[in-house]
Amino acid sequence: MSVLPDGFAALEPFAGLWSAPDMAARAALRDAVGDAERQAFHAAMKSLVRPALERLDGKPLDALDPAERLLLALVLAYPHVAMAVEVQGGAEVRHAALRRHMRITPEISPPA
Amino acid sequence: MTDEPILEMLSVDEAAARFGRGPLPAAPYHDPAWWEREREAVFLRSWIHIGHVCEVPEPGSFVRREIEFAGASLLVMRGRDGQVRAFHNACRHRGSRLVDEMSGKRSKLSCRYHMWTYGSDGTLLSAPDFERFHVAREACALKPVATEVVAGMVFVNFDPQPAQSAREFFGPIAAAMERLPVARATCFTEWTYEIGANWKTNFDNFQENYHLRFIHPRTGEQALGPENPFGYPTHYGFLGPHRGQRLWKNPDPPPIPDSLRLGYARVGELACREGLDFPKTDFKLFPCFHVVGLPPYQNYTHTMYPLGPDRTRGQVRMYWTAPPADAWAAFSREFAAVAIRDVLSEDREAVEASQQGLAAIDEVHFQDHEVLLRHLYLEVEKRVRARGKTAALAEVAA
Repeated sequence: MSVLPDGFAALEPFAGLWSAPDMAARAALRDAVGDAERQAFHAAMKSLVRPALERLDGKPLDALDPAERLLLALVLAYPHVAMAVEVQGGAEVRHAALRRHMRITPEISPPA
Repeated sequence: MTDEPILEMLSVDEAAARFGRGPLPAAPYHDPAWWEREREAVFLRSWIHIGHVCEVPEPGSFVRREIEFAGASLLVMRGRDGQVRAFHNACRHRGSRLVDEMSGKRSKLSCRYHMWTYGSDGTLLSAPDFERFHVAREACALKPVATEVVAGMVFVNFDPQPAQSAREFFGPIAAAMERLPVARATCFTEWTYEIGANWKTNFDNFQENYHLRFIHPRTGEQALGPENPFGYPTHYGFLGPHRGQRLWKNPDPPPIPDSLRLGYARVGELACREGLDFPKTDFKLFPCFHVVGLPPYQNYTHTMYPLGPDRTRGQVRMYWTAPPADAWAAFSREFAAVAIRDVLSEDREAVEASQQGLAAIDEVHFQDHEVLLRHLYLEVEKRVRARGKTAALAEVAA
């Protein structure tokens, strides 16, 4: 049985690594993984992020079931990876060294 | 709406004519003796943003703030009467630090040393064997710091008798900030940083676009175009010691990456749903506070707290009026925060490199489009000189 909602089985290989609990952890994950892992997640998510948002749309976050919550975690990891792949590109490693000084305050930064 | 009715908007030439041209001494950016004068004249006498009422939502809620330039640990606390106050985190008996936690909720604060106990409004409620002190209980309340809430944000002033209230000091900008989401915020996204640079060196980076094409070649390309290759603002705005700018709108921006487009796809709709007004905003409030509002979901505050002549702590906050209602809201907020953090991260090396060379040069040169830097410099200098005169007169009188 899939750990993600129907239609998102292609994301299952990424569910373990990319389901960080908050923004600080997601930002740290972006910095910690290698380029190949970012590229692979980005490639898998890119065409599924909009369908995922539509699947979750309109439902209060606290009403999501476990599979939907996991899907949301992947959706929220995507902006970090999209910035790395689509905007920073080859400058990502150097950029990460600068970004690490910007410490996200975990306990008060939403969401979810 | 924009800020134009609030700030006096000038063209670059008008602004240069008003505030002058030519080099200025570099020492105020690095000299420890100047910093000490600046600390006295500016930071111990200005309204400083230190928090938000949403951090102390209920009577007894408190946050602790370490304010290095004042050598102070402050408690920002909501009293039973609902009022938000700031006190020194020090027992009036013999100065013991009262609270170690960064935040919490208590109906009373007790000093562990001799159990002096204070109410949430700072009054001394009890102290063992107090009659042996031969002092009025009222004289032993927690030492207050002037505190004022504007647009939901908590400002303090270490001057025991500030020359102006915060609202007077900000003038019509206060009312403009009351219309921003920050005024109704219940939560925020935050990141902080420390940087090896004077607070003005750091703030100056966010007061000019001259560096955009060199430091932000990827994240800043939307702001550059053939007719404005540096992305200079069209106008600069002034109101007393405060300032701002009107950004140039690129008529033919390069396409943005697909995912960024998705990140911004529904922000307008979400803002409407949340009942938010997002006026285009750029207030650089004296001395060290920047309020930025671009399209919906790109509003943030940036406070630069000096730690010494060549070190600064920055705090960036994106305020939200409620937790995200659904996945789209959560996704859009995450995207906005990631994008802004990416941009702001890119300035670090250039700002620190600039600081490292300042002691080697006697003067700094500001071009016309760096008039906001000059304005901040002159406003600081004016206060330092005036304070110097006041101190000298007091010495003569003594």
